[in-house]
Amino acid sequence: MASAAGIGRRPYEGRWDGLWLLGPLLLFLALLLGFPAVANLVYSLSEVRFTGLWSPRWVGLDNYATVLADPAFWGAVGFSARFAVVVTVAQLLLGFALVLALDPLIAKRRWLMAFLLLPMMVSPALLGVMYRLMLNDFVGVIPQYLQLVGFSGNLLDADWAFTTVAVIEVLQWTPFAVLALLTAYQAIPGELVEAARIDGAGSWSVFRRITLPLMVPALAITGFIRFIDSFRVFDHIYVLTGGGPGTLTQSLSIYIYRTFFQQERIGPAVAASMLLLLASIVVLRLLMAQMLRGSRG
Amino acid sequence: MTNILRKTLLAGLALPLLSSAAMAGEVTLLFWPGPESEAMQKVLDAYNAGPGKTDGITVKQLLFSRQGYFEKEQADLAAGSSEFDLALVTTYTLGRYAPYLDPIDAQVPAEVKAAFAPVSLQSLTLDGKLYGVPTDISVHFLYYRKDLVDRLLSDTEWQKRYAAIAKEKLGREMQPKAPDDWSWDDWIAAALFFSAADNPDSPTRFGTVLQMKNLIFNIMLWQATLVSNGGDWLADGRPAIDGPAARTGLQVYKTLIDAKATPPGSISYEYPEANAAFQAGQAATMLQWNAAFNELNDPAKSPTVAGKIGLAPLPAGSAGHKSHVHSLGIGLNTASKNKADAGKVVAWLATKDAMTVYAQAGGTPPVPEILKSMAAARPEFPLVGDFVDRYGFVVTGGTAAYAVPVYEVLAEKFSAFWAGQIDLDTALKQAAEGMAERIKG
Repeated sequence: MASAAGIGRRPYEGRWDGLWLLGPLLLFLALLLGFPAVANLVYSLSEVRFTGLWSPRWVGLDNYATVLADPAFWGAVGFSARFAVVVTVAQLLLGFALVLALDPLIAKRRWLMAFLLLPMMVSPALLGVMYRLMLNDFVGVIPQYLQLVGFSGNLLDADWAFTTVAVIEVLQWTPFAVLALLTAYQAIPGELVEAARIDGAGSWSVFRRITLPLMVPALAITGFIRFIDSFRVFDHIYVLTGGGPGTLTQSLSIYIYRTFFQQERIGPAVAASMLLLLASIVVLRLLMAQMLRGSRG
Repeated sequence: MTNILRKTLLAGLALPLLSSAAMAGEVTLLFWPGPESEAMQKVLDAYNAGPGKTDGITVKQLLFSRQGYFEKEQADLAAGSSEFDLALVTTYTLGRYAPYLDPIDAQVPAEVKAAFAPVSLQSLTLDGKLYGVPTDISVHFLYYRKDLVDRLLSDTEWQKRYAAIAKEKLGREMQPKAPDDWSWDDWIAAALFFSAADNPDSPTRFGTVLQMKNLIFNIMLWQATLVSNGGDWLADGRPAIDGPAARTGLQVYKTLIDAKATPPGSISYEYPEANAAFQAGQAATMLQWNAAFNELNDPAKSPTVAGKIGLAPLPAGSAGHKSHVHSLGIGLNTASKNKADAGKVVAWLATKDAMTVYAQAGGTPPVPEILKSMAAARPEFPLVGDFVDRYGFVVTGGTAAYAVPVYEVLAEKFSAFWAGQIDLDTALKQAAEGMAERIKG
């Protein structure tokens, strides 16, 4: 068929058609990714203000030095790292537990999966607004119930703010872990488990020697995606606490946003985002290498 | 095929260019959605139905979402967008926007300006040039429960208890006064008296409700404690935020926090949360924006407190009563391709006719004559005009390009102090350093 289609055509006829077809996409990518990437690089090495976006003044690595010497930057990095680790571990544990508990149920009732995914569908900013209402001391439902069991504190004060924003993140994104892990869990060959049972393995042995090892790649990928996403957290924290009390819940994304838009320190903000990008690339590279090594093994 | 693709691409590129071309006689106002835009729509409707017909101009609104509005507007202005001719300007963003706005002194001459409260014009003026028609003024009130304070002023048992609490907590003899005469200490004493933590018989759980979220608007509210004690952002052109006035002001809030006279969550509160506390009858006093009164005094929305609310100026410091004032206004985009028409609309917006329609539709125009005339419908309006006139201030540098960055650094450091994250000396030192850095740019 292929040779029939080529009959009567000169060897290079139509070679530009491909370029024309690809052109819009390439142009789109160049504009959408290439231009901002170059602009970011330039701005991160310049002093620039909104009033002079087209005339940045070259300052070399000064912005990077400023950011790296800023305690607020390291505070934000520390918060983001701690937040990402805590919520990722919690989501994986909770997600895996839900998969183990609900798999038989979900296999029979597919609609349950759609129900479980609902929290993920809510916009994080909207979630922040919802929790602002639910956590309000005077009109919120959560403090009312907590008071019934003798808790009179406030879930957004300095002692509780981190826990509160972490729990909200876990509640919203654990369904993602369930979705990713359930697919991997259901792909475990039944005959392996069956053979182990015949050999006398108990539930714990089956889990430890078969289920868990076979789930490791899925756990790693899910954990990686959730870690990166949680590290960049912005919406619900910004709406709920504004990064406070003080700067106790200021994530790196909130730091960058405030530095860029509210403090109008464009150079340092872009330098911070470039550092975030660099860190993400290093982590991604290490993880990909690990995964490729694992798949070859 | 190549030809078809090429033509399609060219057509695709041409469409946005064609659609962006300004249409003669059509003026676009970039605004944010909410009560202000709803009121403004009525003003624009009035213009379109009246003077607009004569001028051959139609005005429409283009609404960006409220979240991150100023950043979006700034990005568009900086990009030289001509998609809108008029834009919302505010006191605190004026310095950033001014490079992309035309002064409007020609459209708003002195005789028209005379109708406006002077501080409202000052709040939209930079380097001696007016950049916006002030359409909405914001000032702060001390909201208090009139029923409770009246009883405090007449009930001897309550007065004895008040004096005992003041003696014990503030270390001196004090007697209750009318809120119009309150100093910051009087306010603190009243807040302690009306707090269950210090007075188990208090009719309210908290004496007040503070707003201390890391947010620039909360600093605007707080800075009356600074200015009323003789402080300012700058002294002799240099940051003066680490002076004694700021120290006193920060301690006013801290005293109330430590005494549990404000809800524990108020470290994360802003406007709506504070309103909710007062609305629920759980707080006896509140420092709040004038905009809250209408809702709090509405029996349908606030059955517990409606009709029981008193309004007073914010408590006085050594320099008397003071209140931060800022304005929303309408500015003229330098990049507009329809500037002549847009200028006519600006001139009309500054008239009493336009401002009257705006006030009747729910806005708060800084025109004392109009505010007074609407006392029956909006009882707080005459006080707005009066307080703006008598106590209103715009901090030195409050309209400069560094205003928002400075508010930002103050919000971050002071919120951290109130939350117990850093001590007072550190907060003041870091605030002054951050301020100097932002001003230097």
